[in-house]
Amino acid sequence: MSEASAPGWARRLLRNRAVVIGGSVFLLLVLIALFADVLAPYNPTRLYPGERLRPPGARNLLGTDEFGRDIASLVLHGARVSLLVGAVTMVLTSAGGVVIGLIAGYYRRLDLVIMRVMDGLMAFPAILLAIALMAVRGPGVWNVIVSLSVVYLPRTAMLIRSTALSVRELDYVLAAQALGRGGLAIAFRHILPNCIGPLLVQATFIFAYAVLAEAILGFLGVGVPPYVPSWGNVIASGKNVIREAFWVSAFPGLALTLTGLSLNLLGDGLRDTLDPRLRRE
Amino acid sequence: MRPRTIPWTAFTLTLVILCLAGLAPEAAAQKKGGVLKVGNLGEPPTLDAHWTTATITEVLAQHIYEGLYTLDAKSQPIPMLAEGMPAVSKDGLAYTFKLRPGIKFHNGKEMTSADVVASLNRWGAQSTYGKTLYARVAEVRAVDKLTVEMTLKEKTAIVLISLAVPNNAAAIYPKEIVDKFKPAEKATEWIGTGPFKLVEWKPDRHIKMVRFDDYQPRKEAATGYGGRKVVYVNELLWIPVPDAATRVAQMETGELDFADDLDLNAYERLKSSPGVQAIVAKPYYWLVAVFNKKEGLMTNQKLRQAWQAALDMEPIMKNVAGGHTDLYRMDSSLAFVENAPWHTKLSGLPWNEHNKDKVRRLLKEAGYKGEPIRFMTTQEYKWMYDFALLSKQQLEDAGFTIDLQVVDWATLVKRRNNSKEYDVFTTGMGNFYDPTHHIYLGPNWPGWTDDEELNRLLTELAREGDYKKRFALWEQVTRTFYDRVPVARYGDLFGLRAMRGHVKGFDTSLMRPRFHNVWLDK
Amino acid sequence: MIAVTTYLLRRLFALVPVMLVVVTIVFLLIHLIPGDPVAVILGPEANAQQIEDARRELGLDRPLHAQLVRFYARLLRGDLGRSYFLDRPVTQALWERAEPTLVLMFSGLFVAVLIGVPSGIAAGAYQGSAWDRLLMMLALLGVCVPGFWLSLNFIYLFSVRLGWLPVAGYASIFQDPVAAARYMLLPAVSLGFSQSALIARIARSCMIEVLRQDYIRTARAKGLAERSVIYLHAFRNALVPVVTVIGITMAILIGGAVVTEIVFNIPGLGRLIISAILRRDYPVVQGVVLITAAAYMLINLLVDVVYAFIDPRIRYV
Repeated sequence: MSEASAPGWARRLLRNRAVVIGGSVFLLLVLIALFADVLAPYNPTRLYPGERLRPPGARNLLGTDEFGRDIASLVLHGARVSLLVGAVTMVLTSAGGVVIGLIAGYYRRLDLVIMRVMDGLMAFPAILLAIALMAVRGPGVWNVIVSLSVVYLPRTAMLIRSTALSVRELDYVLAAQALGRGGLAIAFRHILPNCIGPLLVQATFIFAYAVLAEAILGFLGVGVPPYVPSWGNVIASGKNVIREAFWVSAFPGLALTLTGLSLNLLGDGLRDTLDPRLRRE
Repeated sequence: MRPRTIPWTAFTLTLVILCLAGLAPEAAAQKKGGVLKVGNLGEPPTLDAHWTTATITEVLAQHIYEGLYTLDAKSQPIPMLAEGMPAVSKDGLAYTFKLRPGIKFHNGKEMTSADVVASLNRWGAQSTYGKTLYARVAEVRAVDKLTVEMTLKEKTAIVLISLAVPNNAAAIYPKEIVDKFKPAEKATEWIGTGPFKLVEWKPDRHIKMVRFDDYQPRKEAATGYGGRKVVYVNELLWIPVPDAATRVAQMETGELDFADDLDLNAYERLKSSPGVQAIVAKPYYWLVAVFNKKEGLMTNQKLRQAWQAALDMEPIMKNVAGGHTDLYRMDSSLAFVENAPWHTKLSGLPWNEHNKDKVRRLLKEAGYKGEPIRFMTTQEYKWMYDFALLSKQQLEDAGFTIDLQVVDWATLVKRRNNSKEYDVFTTGMGNFYDPTHHIYLGPNWPGWTDDEELNRLLTELAREGDYKKRFALWEQVTRTFYDRVPVARYGDLFGLRAMRGHVKGFDTSLMRPRFHNVWLDK
Repeated sequence: MIAVTTYLLRRLFALVPVMLVVVTIVFLLIHLIPGDPVAVILGPEANAQQIEDARRELGLDRPLHAQLVRFYARLLRGDLGRSYFLDRPVTQALWERAEPTLVLMFSGLFVAVLIGVPSGIAAGAYQGSAWDRLLMMLALLGVCVPGFWLSLNFIYLFSVRLGWLPVAGYASIFQDPVAAARYMLLPAVSLGFSQSALIARIARSCMIEVLRQDYIRTARAKGLAERSVIYLHAFRNALVPVVTVIGITMAILIGGAVVTEIVFNIPGLGRLIISAILRRDYPVVQGVVLITAAAYMLINLLVDVVYAFIDPRIRYV
C-alpha cells in the first residue's frame, strides 16, 4: 500500500499525541461502561447495611457508602449512565444541529427566525436552562438527555450554519445550482463534508459537557433518581459523610475528571488536525 | 462599741454578706443578653400552629404562642393561660375555664375570652387533635371577659390533654387574626402571648424572635413545657440549614449555638468535640410506613400484613442510626417507653417477624401480581429516605415491586392528603400524650384509617374515665392494630442534638427543645 | 464617543428579538409540565375557588397566544408572578437573594481573572518553555475537574482537616466584611479556579497570536528589550480578546455559582431555584431563569461596548 492511498487526515490524527492519549483513555472508559456488569464485583444497587462506610480494602476495593453499597461497582455502573447521556446527547445535538444549521444556512428567510431562537436559547446559562427543564419534566435519564440536548443544540446548529453560509457562495456550489442540482443534494455533497471536521470537534466537547452536566444535575438532586447509580448521585451522598468517608465522593469525582480529561484531550487533538480554521502552524 | 454603731455595723455586714452571696457562682448564673443561634433543618411549611402536625412548626410556634394548658415534666396537663384547672360540672359535660387577667398579646392587645373562643373554634376545625375533641363538643362560648365554657355532647377524658398537647396546638390568637384567616388557610400573621415574639421571617435566611417584654410568667417553678418562663437572651435566631452535615460542622465551629435533627453519623465526632455537648434526644420518633387505605393497592389488608411480616427491622434501625446501638431501640409498643402510663409490654405481636413463608402466603392470599407500589419518601429527613431504601430492598427480596418516589418534605406533606397520589409514605410518630391522640388510628389523618373495631375501642377510650379500664382498652387497641396494620411500625429512633458549652439552662429532658429559661454564659 | 453610543444602541436594538425569544422560552416552561400545572402547584387541598384564581393568575384559562401576550404585558410592568411557597412576589424573592449570588459571582470572576490572565499571558510569552507546559497542564486539569467536586475537596482540606476556614455559610459584606471574606474565600476560589483555566488558555493563544504580528517583529528588530516588547505592545493588544472571553465565561460563571451555592449553603439565587424546583414553585423557577438570562445578555452587551471602546474597528461593523 502506497503512502498516498492512506487518507492524509487519518495519518495526521494518529500522529497527534492528544488524540491518541485522549482517544484511547476514552475508549477504555467506553469498554468499562459496556462491560460494567461483568467487571463490577457487586450489584451496585444492593444495600449491605452491615457494611456501611468501610474504607477501601480487600472486600471493597474502593470502599462502601453509607448503605454498604460497593463504591467500585457504583463507579463502574455510573459510567454507563454518564456515557449513555453523553453519547445520546451528542448524537441528538449533532443530528439536530445539522438539520437546523443546514436549513438556516440555506434558506435565508427561515434563517432569521432560527438564528433568533438559537440566540435566545444560548442566552441562558447552560446549567440553569437544564435545571429548569428538569424541573418541569421531572427526574429520569431520558428527561436529562432531552434537556441537555435542547441546551447544547444551538452550538452545533450555529456551527453548521456558518459553514453552510461560507460554502454557499463558493464557485462550485453556484455551478452546481446552475446545473439544476437540488438544495438537498448540494447540502450533502458540498456543505456537509466541509462541516464534518468542526462538527466532530464540537461533538466531542458536547459529549464532555453533557457528562459533566449530568453529574451536576444528579448532585443537585434534579437528575436521575437518587437510587440510580450515577456519578453525580454518589458524589452527593458522599458529601454528607465527607469526614468519615471521603472515598465515597473521591472516586466518582476522579472518574468524572478522567472522562473529562480524555474527551478534552481528544477534542483538542481533533481540533488541531481536522479544523482547518483553527489549525496552528 | 457605742450602742448606736451596732445596728449600723450589723446592717453593713449583712449588706456585704448579701453582696458576696450575689457574687457566688450559683446565684450569679443567669446572664441577660446575647443572640442564640439555632440551626433548623429547613423552612417550616407555616408558623400557624393550628394548621399542621409538622414538628418544625410545633417547635417554632411553641415559642411565640401559648394555650390554655400545657404539659408538665410528667406529661400531665397544667394551666398556662388558664388560671387553674377547670371547674367541671357533675355530669362531666360542662367545663368552665377561668382565664388569667392582664395577659398581653405581642401587639399590645389584652387577651379576653373572645380571643380564646375564636381560637379554640378555629383549632377545633383544623387541627387533628382539635377535630378529635370537637367531635364531642357541643359548644364553646364566652361567659364573661375572663371565663370560657365548653359544653360537651358526651362525657370524655380527653379535654385537658387535647388542650395541652404542644403539637398542632390549641394556640390562642387574637380574635382579629382568627377572623382574618379561615381554618383551612395558613395564617400569615403571627401574634401570640408567648415569651418570644416574632420579629422577622426571611425564608431561607432566618426566623428572628426577640424577648417579649410584656410577657407574664407564671409563678410556679418551671416544669416540662410549663411553669415559669423567663427569657434571658435578647434574640432567638432560627437559621435554616438544610444540609445535615453542614449543621454539624457549623455546631463545631460555633457558628450555631444549638442544632437539632443532626446527622447520626456525627455522633462520635460530636461526643469528642471540645465545646460541644452531644445530647441524645429520647424519645424522638418511631419510624412508620403509612398505608393509603382509601384507594389503591394497600386497601388490601393482607398486603399490609405481608409488608409487616417481611421486615427485618433490626438491621434497618441500626443502619439508620448510623451503626450506633445507643441511638435506636427495638420496641413494639405504640406509646414510647418514656410515656410510662401508656407503654405496653405485649408479647406475641406480629412485629419484626421477617418470616418469608408467611409473606409468601399472605401475598398469594392477597392476590398480589407484582404491581408497583408507590412508596413516597423524602431526603430532607435523612432517616426517612434511609429506612425507605432499606425497606425497598427487603420487600423486593420478599416478592414486592416497589416504586420509590423521592420528593421534598413540603411536597410529601401536600401529596399525602391526596389519595390518588401514593400507596405508602414514610414519616415518624412523636409522642402522643393520650391514646385517643394517635392520629394514624383515625380517619382524619393521611392514610385514612377507618376500622370498625379500632373506632369502637377509641370511642370507648374517649368516654372512659378510669385509668385501669383505659389501659386495658389500650392494650386491645394495640393488638387490633397489629392485626389490621393501618401503618407499619418500625423501631424507635433517637435524635441527636448538639449544644455549645456556653448555652446554659437548657432542659435536656424535654422531647422538643425550648429556649426560655436558657441563657448564654459568655 | 458618538460611534460607541450608536454601536451601543444598535446592539440594544438587536437584543430585542432575542429577549422576546428568551421570554417566550421562559413562558413555555410551565406548559411543559406533564399534567395539570395548577394541580401540581397548589396541591390537593386546593378548593375550586383557589384553583380558579390560580388558573387565572397563571393565565392558563386562555388560549396560548393570548397567554403569551399577557405574559409579556405583565413582564413589562415588572410583575413576575407570585411565589406559592414563599407567599410573596417573585421579584421580591429574587431581590432578597440577589446579593449573595452577585458577591459570589464577582468574587469568582476576580479570582479567575487574577489567576488566569497572568498565567495565560506568561505561558504565551514564553511559549514552549517548561513553564508554559506546566501552566497548560494545570489549565487542562482546571477545565476537566468538576467545580462542585473541587469544592468538596477544598472543604475537606481547608475546613475539615486544617480548620482554617468555615465549612459553609454566608455573611453580608455590608454587615461583617471580615466574616464575609472568610465565608466567601473557598467558594470564590473553587468557582474561580475552573474559570481561570479557561481564561488562561485563551489568554495564552491571544498572546501567541499577538506576538506573531508584524509590529512586534518591528519592535524586536528595533532592538527593544524582550521585556518591553511583551509589556508595552503585546500585553495590551492581547488583553482585548481576553476581555471578550471574560464575557463569555460569565455565562458559565453564573451556572457555576448556582452549584457552588448549594455546596456552601449560600442563600442566593442558586439555592432559591433548587428549593423552588423541589417545592414545585414554578413562578420562582421562571423568575430565576429569566433574570439570569437577562443578566447574561447584559454582561455580554457591556463586554461588547468595552470592546468597541478599545478597538475602533468594531464600531463600524
